Amino acid sequence: MVILAVGLILFGVFFLVVAAIGTLRLPDVFTRSHAVSLTDSLGAICVLAGLSIYQGFGINMLKILVVLVLLLLLNPVIAHATVRAAYRAGVKPQTEEDQ
Amino acid sequence: MKSSFPKQFIANTLALFCVWLVLSGKYDNFHLVLGFMVSCGVAWLNTGFPHSPFHHFPWARVVLYSPWLFLRVVESSLHLTKLILNPSLPIKPILITYRSHLRHRGAIVLLGNSVTLTPGTITVEVNGNAFLVHAIDETAGKDLTTGRMERQLAWVFQEDTNQR
Repeated sequence: MVILAVGLILFGVFFLVVAAIGTLRLPDVFTRSHAVSLTDSLGAICVLAGLSIYQGFGINMLKILVVLVLLLLLNPVIAHATVRAAYRAGVKPQTEEDQ
Repeated sequence: MKSSFPKQFIANTLALFCVWLVLSGKYDNFHLVLGFMVSCGVAWLNTGFPHSPFHHFPWARVVLYSPWLFLRVVESSLHLTKLILNPSLPIKPILITYRSHLRHRGAIVLLGNSVTLTPGTITVEVNGNAFLVHAIDETAGKDLTTGRMERQLAWVFQEDTNQR
């Protein structure tokens, strides 16, 4: 059980590191926010799933699941708000033609 | 909406009380009674408000939809990871305009949310049924452009999208 939990957490941390690398490497706000959305999809899902397995069945597992559901509902909202604000402020996304 | 007053009040109270039970984690009489009183009070304060988009929301089918979404999220996460770790960074960002045929407001919200949750695509702007989506390359945007995601949501909300 502990091995499975640690494996899941390490797997999630790998995606968090990839997201950090992506945030540094990618060129503009739109593509960077794609990299950030890696953290809330596989990164957070794996880390929180690992934590809930480590806790075992009980009230703490339910609490972690509540956090996970809220994260999956709210993180896209934040990403969308950031990107829409950038778009409305006149930031033009780099497309294939101007590279 | 006087007729639906007690039903809505009871449903809200029960939902709030469930949240209380999960978050407090204490099951002695004091905390149970306190939680029930607070849920009743909050539900009573909220009875006057008009229905949210979550009225008539098919929760059961949304739960059935989520494993499919989860698989898509995993697949596109791996695709994006490959793109980021590739030394030549082979990204071809595009803006996709997409007109959806979904009518339920909750369906539009869920489509925008699913698109943004999937790594590699982000909803930039929603105007009625028109979506402006930024995708990191064409493969990432394929679920949307082929209408695959919309078909799943049409099933969730029992709408037909065949008029195209």
